[in-house]
Amino acid sequence: MMRMDSENDGLPQPRTLPSAPPPPLVAPVEPVPALSFRDVSHRYRSHPALDRLTVEILRGQTVALLGPNGAGKSTAIALVLGLISAQEGSVEVLGTDPREAVRQGRVGAMLQTGAGSGLPPNVRVATVLRLVQRLYPSPTPLDETVRSAGIGHLLDRQTDRLSGGQAQLVRFAVAIAGNPELLVLDEPTAAMDVAGQRAFWAMIRQFAQEGRTTVFATHHLREADEIADRVVVVNHGHVVADGPGSSIKAKIAGRRIRFSCSMPDAVLLDSLEGVTDVDLQGTHVWLNSLDSDATVRDLVRHAVQFEDLEVVGPDLQDAYVALTERRPSIERSSTS
Amino acid sequence: MSPLVAFGRFEVLRLVRSWRFIIITVGFPVVFYMLFLGDHTPSKAVAGTVPWRAYLMVSMCSFGALVAGLTSGGARLSAERASGWARQLRVTPIPTWSYVLTKVSASMLVILPVIILVEIVGATFGGVQLAARIWFELAAVLWVSSVPFAALGVLVGFTVNAETAFATVTGLMFVLGYFGGLFNPVSSMPSVLRSAATALPNYHHDQLGLSLIQGTALGLEHWAVLVAYTAAIALAVMMRHRKEELKGTA
Repeated sequence: MMRMDSENDGLPQPRTLPSAPPPPLVAPVEPVPALSFRDVSHRYRSHPALDRLTVEILRGQTVALLGPNGAGKSTAIALVLGLISAQEGSVEVLGTDPREAVRQGRVGAMLQTGAGSGLPPNVRVATVLRLVQRLYPSPTPLDETVRSAGIGHLLDRQTDRLSGGQAQLVRFAVAIAGNPELLVLDEPTAAMDVAGQRAFWAMIRQFAQEGRTTVFATHHLREADEIADRVVVVNHGHVVADGPGSSIKAKIAGRRIRFSCSMPDAVLLDSLEGVTDVDLQGTHVWLNSLDSDATVRDLVRHAVQFEDLEVVGPDLQDAYVALTERRPSIERSSTS
Repeated sequence: MSPLVAFGRFEVLRLVRSWRFIIITVGFPVVFYMLFLGDHTPSKAVAGTVPWRAYLMVSMCSFGALVAGLTSGGARLSAERASGWARQLRVTPIPTWSYVLTKVSASMLVILPVIILVEIVGATFGGVQLAARIWFELAAVLWVSSVPFAALGVLVGFTVNAETAFATVTGLMFVLGYFGGLFNPVSSMPSVLRSAATALPNYHHDQLGLSLIQGTALGLEHWAVLVAYTAAIALAVMMRHRKEELKGTA
């Protein structure tokens, strides 16, 4: 896109071949990450929201920020969008300051709106979309946006006559109308039913195929795993796990088995059936297992002297806490 | 169309398409003017050389500017904040200051026809007779000096939530209108109220209009008070915005 040439002038762009065609939007050649957080800390009053968060997201990736409510996801997103400024550390978006990236029209966003529609009251949907288009330097043609979001039937509707799910689709159209390089979604499927969610993620996949970067916050592991190339798990304001969905799922899905054991043998425990992770603290043992029944049978078969054994259900909250507690033992998988 | 022009157009069109808004903004000053006209003998003169009917007309122009400023910012803006649209706009390329400035400008655009309409009612039903130049100057001066009302509406919209916005706007409308001497001449007020009136922006707004009709110079102190109010309100809007940003709810 022409926009990239004119607006990236301030960025270090290696130009070894002066006659080379301009880099297409879909496959950026420069190694500038779409997003980078370096040791970012942020507090509201006395409540810490982010605690030395460090993460880098490459262009073209679809990345989920997974974490329980209050983990710091929305704060991270507000920083990416320049809605707030980092109190400590640095945030860069598309190689520049977040506010600058937003001002250049390279970022689109779907924010959490609580009970609100996220749209201006008393106006036709088409009018809102046409306005949003005009706010961006190189927008997507309107009919294309309408098709991508599947809202052709809503164009003549007044914004205050939309259902929650319909308003969400219109907000998605608003987010992509400006033809953004980076799309940021904060819990985008919150008001949708299952069928709506499925259709919505199909749209996101389509959007991601065009080579754009998509970052979304969610607290549904399934959503993160199914949609994202990479899942960054955040809890208590920092990254507790990072990797492809499958590896995250193995870490936090399944069940946790805990018991006490006077002399736990880590190697043995790790070899038990179904076990994906072993965590020892003195005589306390935590096992992550994808098949708790098999693991317990194996424990008995190996005559492990366990006491107070408990199998804890697939409670994500627990899983996040578990990841947080075991943070030192988790090696961060390198980012693709 | 440049982004700012597009946004301005969007805002103004949305304002004028809202019937409730138009009825309140245009209806209040005109209806009040009519009611007051029926209530007083036409020969009565107040404030020195200004005839009662002309005096009333200026007061109602001033009231109209206040109402239009408060209603076009106020409740609508807080509804936009509540819906999340204001926040959504902040992640588009238009800068925040332009959001505020467009709101104030849109209010100003609405204030002008209200002033002109009250003048038309004054010239027809009110029997006010002025030189053509004075009619024109009156509209121009009252309009330009309405900026603090437009800004006040935006401040209310930024400060109160959607549920209380309408009550706040209505309250401010009548409190400022009454104590600013728009319904009763300030000269007929007890001295305590009189000094209170001189501290309010719409008193000075009103006085600018009256000076024009009297043919006296436009007092610098009136302009100064209105400019000071505008600056104070602008500062309050900025502080309000900053506070929301710190809370992360902006």
